[in-house]
Amino acid sequence: MSGLQTDARQSTGPLLEITDLKTHFATERGLVRAVDGVTFTLERGKALGVVGESGSGKTVLSRTIMGLLTARGVELSGSVRFAGQEILGLKAKEMRHIWGREMAMIFQDPMSSLNPLMKIGRQIVEPLQIHLDMPSDDAKATAVRLMKDVRIPEAERRLEQYPHELSGGMRQRIMIAIALACGPTMLFADEPTTALDVTVQAQILDLIGEQRRDRNMSVILVTHDLGVVAGHTDEIAVMYGGRLVEKAPTKTLFANMKMPYTKSLLRSIPKLDEPSHTRLATIPGRPPDLVNPPKGCRFAPRCAYARDRCHEEEPVLEVAEHPEHVYRCFYPVGSAEFEERDEQVKAELAREAAAVRAAADQAAADSAHGDVPLAAQLMHGKDI
Amino acid sequence: MAGTGKAHLRDGDAVLRVEDLVMEFPVGRTGLKVNAVSGISLDVLRGETLGLVGESGCGKSTTGRSVMQLPRPTSGSVVFEGQELTALQGGAMREARTRMQMIFQDPISSLNPRRKVRDIVMEPLNIWKRGSSAERAKVVDAVLEDVGIDPQRAAESQPHQFSGGQCQRISIARSLVLDPTLIICDEPVSALDVSVQAQVINLLEELKARYGLTLVFIAHDLAVVKNVSDRVAVMYLGKICEVASSDDLYARPSHPYTKVLIDSIPVPDPMAELHHSDIVGEPPSPVLPPPGCRFNTRCPNADDLCRTDEPQLRDLGGGHFVACHHPLETPVSLTGTVSSN
Amino acid sequence: MRYVSQRLLQFFVVFIVVTFIVMVATRIGSADPVRDLAGGAVSDQQIARVLNDYPYLDQSLFLQYPQWLLDFVTGNLGYSYTQSQSGLAMFQQRLPPTLFMGFWAIVIGLAIAVPVGVYSAYKRDGAFDRGASYTSFAFISMPPLVIAVALLFLVVTRTSLFPTVGGSSYIAPWDSPWGHFRNFFIPSLALGLGLAAVWSRFLRADMNLTLQSDFIMLAKAKGVSPARVLWRHALRSSVLSLITSVALQVSALIGGAVVVEQFFGPRGIGDRLVFAIQQNDILIIQAITAVLVVGVVLANLIVDLLYAVVDPRIRHARKLG
Repeated sequence: MSGLQTDARQSTGPLLEITDLKTHFATERGLVRAVDGVTFTLERGKALGVVGESGSGKTVLSRTIMGLLTARGVELSGSVRFAGQEILGLKAKEMRHIWGREMAMIFQDPMSSLNPLMKIGRQIVEPLQIHLDMPSDDAKATAVRLMKDVRIPEAERRLEQYPHELSGGMRQRIMIAIALACGPTMLFADEPTTALDVTVQAQILDLIGEQRRDRNMSVILVTHDLGVVAGHTDEIAVMYGGRLVEKAPTKTLFANMKMPYTKSLLRSIPKLDEPSHTRLATIPGRPPDLVNPPKGCRFAPRCAYARDRCHEEEPVLEVAEHPEHVYRCFYPVGSAEFEERDEQVKAELAREAAAVRAAADQAAADSAHGDVPLAAQLMHGKDI
Repeated sequence: MAGTGKAHLRDGDAVLRVEDLVMEFPVGRTGLKVNAVSGISLDVLRGETLGLVGESGCGKSTTGRSVMQLPRPTSGSVVFEGQELTALQGGAMREARTRMQMIFQDPISSLNPRRKVRDIVMEPLNIWKRGSSAERAKVVDAVLEDVGIDPQRAAESQPHQFSGGQCQRISIARSLVLDPTLIICDEPVSALDVSVQAQVINLLEELKARYGLTLVFIAHDLAVVKNVSDRVAVMYLGKICEVASSDDLYARPSHPYTKVLIDSIPVPDPMAELHHSDIVGEPPSPVLPPPGCRFNTRCPNADDLCRTDEPQLRDLGGGHFVACHHPLETPVSLTGTVSSN
Repeated sequence: MRYVSQRLLQFFVVFIVVTFIVMVATRIGSADPVRDLAGGAVSDQQIARVLNDYPYLDQSLFLQYPQWLLDFVTGNLGYSYTQSQSGLAMFQQRLPPTLFMGFWAIVIGLAIAVPVGVYSAYKRDGAFDRGASYTSFAFISMPPLVIAVALLFLVVTRTSLFPTVGGSSYIAPWDSPWGHFRNFFIPSLALGLGLAAVWSRFLRADMNLTLQSDFIMLAKAKGVSPARVLWRHALRSSVLSLITSVALQVSALIGGAVVVEQFFGPRGIGDRLVFAIQQNDILIIQAITAVLVVGVVLANLIVDLLYAVVDPRIRHARKLG
């Protein structure tokens, strides 16, 4: 165990190198290609946001890298090098020295992720005793210090409490304290704030960022929320249908999105600076079936900008103007083909918005006659 | 915040008018009670969408349910289309409930898993024996088309064969077949993916226009609430802090809590300034709410007055009301006379 | 505190209802209780003795019940005139064998069920899990009598270690540990195997659910060893159904004890109850059933307290009343 620890802390080069990583699940329906050939590297101390909708593979990706998916029916391939050492396919016995010690994870739901029957103190102390062989008193003192680090008031008293006695935000802080206990070099945060209120979310995201900088720790922040990654990451990887479809430094990505999916996703979010009742751009349909992913680009069936080629042939990752910016598209944002379609998309959106306004006016003007919905006619005893 | 008062109630064609609504639940047999909603007043004009926004435990969902009389509020008045609902019994209550419907956050669990989707949507018509069976079928198919669900597929499939977004469309269809006046939407899009969320929001806007609906839209996501609402009420710990037109609320938030709430939203723009909010911690327990303004324990501007006296909703002009002793915008009554800060 | 008083109230209601029903049932089964008690065709003298001891026996049921209840709670547990033995002496003689048998049956049941349930869940759908599943299903389908017969032919008759049919007798462990083991092992095993089968299935099902929960994944991600994940994190969260089932099985255990005691011995309270019923010894029937009711209700009470020991959330909810 000691060999690997020193490697992770002292070796040079990227902390994490992922190459053509695949995670497939054998199910009754067939092989689910949850993660399907993902490649990227992550430097020490950097925060990478992994963004995607449900079924994009973002959560499976983080759990695969951490080596937590070992159940029957899971097929892994590719390479995960952590501090220069291959860790994909290591047995749980070998990974145990990395888990909690080098890599730690924060889950989405702080209620279900803490053991409901174990005192808070024990849960924080556990990794300290396992990995650092700390005597009980030292471990307790360290636990209190960790709880103070994550700004939990009355830390000593909390040691003796159970998770149900704390609020959601406090539980998430406890989970962060557990994750930080052994000073990991790599933290996976899987939707760490999705279950929390917005004012608490801001505090927790700030806390993770602060701890990352203090400890020179790398963070992979998995989320569906482009807003969350915008302010709290150095780089962003966008996942769709098990593939990495765009990756760039955060500022570059927002300034110069290439992938129509990323652009459409951003456009579909309601914005505070738009007037109310602004018609939202939508992405029709839903994410692809990972058992039978579409031929060609996986986003093509839902893409307003797709052309024949997109349905036939899958684009490879192209490098954009910025050398660290890659995307997977034949007709990226900014290309003539994209702009041509985008005119139509915007015009269509404007038409829809006008139609809704007209319908509202119509309904207000004459709800008694005209194109009244059948349900209303039936309610008013009309023959339909 | 945490104020009371009715200054913000309007004259006009209110579909729904709630006054001094109180909802309390006992905590086991301890004699304590959860003060879920503590005397709020609201009105919703015909064709309007009222957004109710706030963090978990602020009482927004309880407000929605007690409007439906599910369960009946502890006290207060709920007038729906001129009818006092809190006094209605039995058949009259059931009849009133056909004109106001509710849709929920988790569409899949709110649909009976064993029945065909088309039957689920048809059921309210069967219960109320509206029209002939041919007419019912026609209505159901038309409504399903309107929400974007293929009636043929709905006749053959059960809810689990549809995605989350589609199930939400189905529950919207079910709420529409009786031609309601008012639909209370309780976090209808918070369980959905971003791209699907936009589809459902757009759909609600279309249906609202087409069916001439009045909506109460309850959500924790301020950006979503801003998009769909005409007027927004911000709630905190069972009280209303601020009421304003949607655009005005976001342009000039006047309650410190509203400001914090807006500043906390992560903006999808890395160049945007990150607001490190002044408030810390989480809302206190609604079992023992603080005296005075309920926000005083977390408010950066709170003083002794806030800890003893409950602020009343005051007019800021332009239909904008705030319940705060030290609002960020100056109330109309104080303009030109006293400066509050 | 409110919680405890509530449970005690429930306890008394159950006790009174059940003992009253038993009293009614014994009177229906006996046209002339006094004569039956005295032993059938007997002299007036003997009948007079019964009536002298229990004058309420020829009164109406509703008058009898409170007097019986008063006797019971003050320690007068009836008298068997045919056996010339007081209820109290009968219990002193017959209760210990049954208590030991029940205790060892539960110990054997848990000693088998816990490791089997935990390992089945850990290696879900593996060879061991499947084997355990078939085996437990077989044992669940077998009544204790069938298991007893099987043990007789497979173990007892092939070794000379254990007494054969009807041969087990009561030896206290402090008198002779080996003698106690010889006499109690086979009857307790006959009862315990069925329990183990039921309990291992409960435990496996709960463990399967627990092992899928986020906090188990988090424990793994902390670097906790698989053994510690199973025994420290998962098992405790998975025992609530098991505990419930232990309480429920106490009544089933009494049924099984009646059969096994008659088959192998030792002759405990179950055996005595059957004999009392055959003899229409109504005071003894009442006393035994009343004690059994107390036993079952106590077992449930203990289980209730155990819930709170295992799960702090239950403690918390109860504090709120």
